[in-house]
Amino acid sequence: MRLHPGIFHMATVLPDITVDAEAAPVKLRAAKREYPGALVVVEGIDGSGKSTQLYLLKRWLEIGGYRIHFTEWNSSPLVKSATRRGKQRRLLTPTTFSLLHAADFADRCERQILPLLHGGYLVLADRYIYTAFARDAARGCSPRWLRNLYSFAPTPDITFYFRAPLDVAVNRIVAGRPKLKYYEAGMDLGLSLDRAESFRIFQERILGNYDQMIETDHFVLMDGTVPVNKLQKLMRQILGDKVDLAQFAPNKK
Amino acid sequence: MTPSEKNGAAIAPPNGRRAKKPKKNGRPEAPSRFYGTPLPGVKLEELSGTLFVLEGTDGSGRSTQISLLTEWLESEGFAVQTMGLRRSFLVGADIDALMAENSVTRTTLSLMYSTDFFDQLERRILPALRSGLIVLADRYIFTLIARSAVRGIGRDYLHGIYEMALRPDLTFWLNVRPEIAFDREFKKAQTISYWESGRDMSLSNDLFQSFIRYQSLIKKEFEYLSKRHGFIELDGEGSVSDVNRVLRKQIAKHLGIRSTHYQPSHALSHLWR
Repeated sequence: MRLHPGIFHMATVLPDITVDAEAAPVKLRAAKREYPGALVVVEGIDGSGKSTQLYLLKRWLEIGGYRIHFTEWNSSPLVKSATRRGKQRRLLTPTTFSLLHAADFADRCERQILPLLHGGYLVLADRYIYTAFARDAARGCSPRWLRNLYSFAPTPDITFYFRAPLDVAVNRIVAGRPKLKYYEAGMDLGLSLDRAESFRIFQERILGNYDQMIETDHFVLMDGTVPVNKLQKLMRQILGDKVDLAQFAPNKK
Repeated sequence: MTPSEKNGAAIAPPNGRRAKKPKKNGRPEAPSRFYGTPLPGVKLEELSGTLFVLEGTDGSGRSTQISLLTEWLESEGFAVQTMGLRRSFLVGADIDALMAENSVTRTTLSLMYSTDFFDQLERRILPALRSGLIVLADRYIFTLIARSAVRGIGRDYLHGIYEMALRPDLTFWLNVRPEIAFDREFKKAQTISYWESGRDMSLSNDLFQSFIRYQSLIKKEFEYLSKRHGFIELDGEGSVSDVNRVLRKQIAKHLGIRSTHYQPSHALSHLWR
């Protein structure tokens, strides 16, 4: 995004007014080295094995006594009731679906992720903004609009992208859940009257959108078909290479 | 002009009435009905209604004017739909709850307002415009942009979110000085509310000072928005009947109706001062 030189005319007005420091303009693509913490996220379609792997990584770090925090997509209590109501009554359009999830993410970002990063934590996120990019674009939202919407989010230090063949991933989910939920299956898009079929087509679109971000967003590609323990070993190795774990170790403060 | 506005201008105007001849430089003069990327799934040619927006800070007399205009338009035989902030079925009540607490952060609140806005746009305004109704908006995206911008959220970011909003046919700005707005608001409620005085921004511990500073910041944003979006600026400090007469004149001209005579009914006569 381009900044307009004339737009920040307010800068001449603000100094004589005591606005607290927090009210600084939201940086587009917040620089990741503005804080001592680190952000590690996992992405991938449902059934790609990402949550299992992040859980194992979290356990490993927890047992080791590291300063970590684990956060999940769609979990903040502030907007949970609205999200639930919208989903139950099927009130959500692609735009309001996207905005409500962005509001939810903003709450988690401003009240958990950013303070923890500034406080020197290693933050582990199960799904991040790329979930919104892949999923909401599959619903028809403009990718450019989505990028702008989430531009307040800090860029991750590592984004593990778990990729499994569509059939493997879809079968893992369909086999494990008696009934797919309406929005989860992408039923709002009218792709198919059959929920399992709709889910499959929807996931295929999402998978395509994820694949397009591998290079542009520097994803670390993880093969979701590799045995769990081997993949976890690799994940720990990559984490150790890219993040200075000693900084979060228990003996350090 | 932002890239998004350029994209928007490339879209053909929806009907002959709005279409204007291209200027000499080849750029069409009439703007698109959307600021940028249109909302997914909206067919512009279906929107036969008209959208009028009234903007202005608390105490500028917006709601009074909306009530009077609704009665006048209905007496002229036009069907009217209204919209306003926090009135969506989806999240209207949730925003009230969030604002009652002190834990909500600026981006979350800003995005909840966006959700509220787009829910009303998609579920109330667009259906009304498809049915040929006149929509009177008691505030629109401009208040939302101004409130977030004074809290430090980037203006480009905000314009980016609302580029999918429908461009109003006419936007009126009832401009009042913060001191006058204070008098009016205080008279109404015998106090000044937390959000109206921008107390979340720690501008001053004195409520009056905080209100004036906050509303001055908002006013500055409106001055910028007014230029950027071509508001029709009205003196909100004028009498209700004077402001109403100017509004009726402009609206009548836009709708192509002659009669602008109006005397409020008994039910609304108390507003006529």
